[in-house]
Amino acid sequence: MKKRLSIVIGSGGILCASSLGLIKALQSEGIQPSMAVGCSGGSLYASIIALGIDSEIAQSLTIDLYKNDVVEGYTSNLRAAMTGETRFTESSGLVDDKVMLERLSIAFGEKTFKDTIMPLYIVATEFYSGEAKVISSGKIVDATRASSAIPMVFPPVKIGEHLFVDGAVSNPLPIDVAIREGSDLIIAMGFELPIRKRMNSYAAVTSHLNSLYMNNILKSSFAFYNAASHAEIISILPTFDRQIGGFDHHQLPYIIEQGEKATAEHISYIKKLLDN
Amino acid sequence: METTITPGKIDVIAVSGAIDALTAAELIAIFHKHIHDGHPDVIADFSQVEFMSSAGLRAILASVKEARSVGGDFRMANPSAGIDKVLKMAGFHNIVKIYPSVQEALASFGS
Amino acid sequence: MSASKKPRVALVVGSGSVKCAAALGLWKSLDKAGIPIDMLVGCSGGSLYTAGMALGFSVDETIQKTKMLWNEKVTEQKNWRALAGVLFPKLFNNHFGMVSEKPLMARLNSVFGNKTFNDTKIPLTIMATDFQSGESVPITNGKIVDAIRASVAIPFVWGAHKVGERLLIDGSVSDPMPVDIAIKEGAEIILAMGFQSPISPKIKSISRYAFHINSLITNNLYQSNFSFHSAAHHAEIVPIFPDFDRPIRLFDTDQIPYVIEQGEKATDAQIPYIRKLLNL
Repeated sequence: MKKRLSIVIGSGGILCASSLGLIKALQSEGIQPSMAVGCSGGSLYASIIALGIDSEIAQSLTIDLYKNDVVEGYTSNLRAAMTGETRFTESSGLVDDKVMLERLSIAFGEKTFKDTIMPLYIVATEFYSGEAKVISSGKIVDATRASSAIPMVFPPVKIGEHLFVDGAVSNPLPIDVAIREGSDLIIAMGFELPIRKRMNSYAAVTSHLNSLYMNNILKSSFAFYNAASHAEIISILPTFDRQIGGFDHHQLPYIIEQGEKATAEHISYIKKLLDN
Repeated sequence: METTITPGKIDVIAVSGAIDALTAAELIAIFHKHIHDGHPDVIADFSQVEFMSSAGLRAILASVKEARSVGGDFRMANPSAGIDKVLKMAGFHNIVKIYPSVQEALASFGS
Repeated sequence: MSASKKPRVALVVGSGSVKCAAALGLWKSLDKAGIPIDMLVGCSGGSLYTAGMALGFSVDETIQKTKMLWNEKVTEQKNWRALAGVLFPKLFNNHFGMVSEKPLMARLNSVFGNKTFNDTKIPLTIMATDFQSGESVPITNGKIVDAIRASVAIPFVWGAHKVGERLLIDGSVSDPMPVDIAIKEGAEIILAMGFQSPISPKIKSISRYAFHINSLITNNLYQSNFSFHSAAHHAEIVPIFPDFDRPIRLFDTDQIPYVIEQGEKATDAQIPYIRKLLNL
């Protein structure tokens, strides 16, 4: 029987584009996944894989999404929220998500989970309880937008009964979903968020702390999935030898290349495990 | 995957190749046999391990638990940068004693 | 476990601010039952009580000291420089906290003075987090006051604390209930007391929002660490999770007697099982 290969792409902002390199490396060996799972930034690329969107479109989406105008207004809105000039509630965000939604729509349009060529699961966090939830129906734009609702930056997203925030708050690399849905082999691509050295504002410290927290939850859940399940998990953790800023879309070719390289190191073992 | 045992005050078991679903069971059997053969303390030299999946991580945990349950300890030495990245991501440095060299691992049992 | 050797017992008390006073109830209960502890690990609020136990304080003495140490006066003095720094980034620095550390330090000093880890009668580890890298930092030497001050540096409440070369913050950012220390050091029986962070149902300001997200992540971290540690430990982890029938928030210090009582109850319930594990 053919082995079921699942791809899990974790949170990591623009670094998640490394998964385009992963796909390239798999395709050149004729390896086809049968399920895609994604969280936060990784949800975009899981969707791209599951919809069979080609690499060119995926790259132009990445470039559009990681342009500064996506977070326009951040600084002035932050100041207003800090002074109490504007109210800040559970449905607030420091950035208007209009631009982000427009850009996501260019790639995903009206496509739903029914349009995928393989099962797709996207993880987001329920805002009040902090629990990880799996989204597997409805519009792809809504699910990816919910999964990547960076706390405080983008407003949480209401889908059905739930208000959702960034999946990285609960489950940054959702290997458990691939285990639960049935996989013989799981390729998990994960990223630690880059850490800044200097902080000179309240906002910088807040985002730094969020990164620390998310990196720790990433490691902790990764540890548990590896230790406690019987699934065969292959971790691909690309390394970057240079600083890559949150909106450094000029580094895209390098990011993809590092993903391809990290995959190539493991490809012979992956083939062996699939063939066995 | 292959293993080589170097006997000493504390035996060092060097592992090479891949530890994954195809080889992990064999590795666990080797370590368990050794631990129960009167060597509750053991050092695993990981310098020649090229690839490790979750099955490899579980093989380490199984061996650590086995050694500790008979009053010994399973300590690791010299994982390559790629393998160490996975060990760190999986929080193994917080629960298993891992040293940069076999010498340091040996010395750790001295105290 | 070899039958001949007495199993080594570790007590781990996790973060939980005021709720950590439940450790005093746990301590009472262990005293009554004569359960010996070989190793202590504390994080954040839990570091206060594990330090007291390690130094050989009596439980009654520590209850008195807790009431003195942990009251609303500790937080009433605002750190105006830090507050101003929010609006004027030029005044901002890394030692950032909304509450002045002076009252806290004065109280910690009056309880622990110049005591160091060398003065402990039982080995003690206090968990903090490296502010730069986010890694957990187990502290096992130096002044107890410094270790506790670092371990309780709740983000945005108290600033980071420098110990040696490292800038340290609240241990709960990396390891809210540090069972891993006890595993690595070879404890067999691990008594683990831990708490979930309270979640606020209403969000009215951006700082509340930040706090809410921190609580969600700390809770998730606490759960997934506990899952991993349970899977990784070769012997027994005895969880002691007290129940509270009311929300206990960050500075609800008037609830301390109730919190202690719940801690004692939760521990009493586990004593027969612990005795059995220890062949007592």
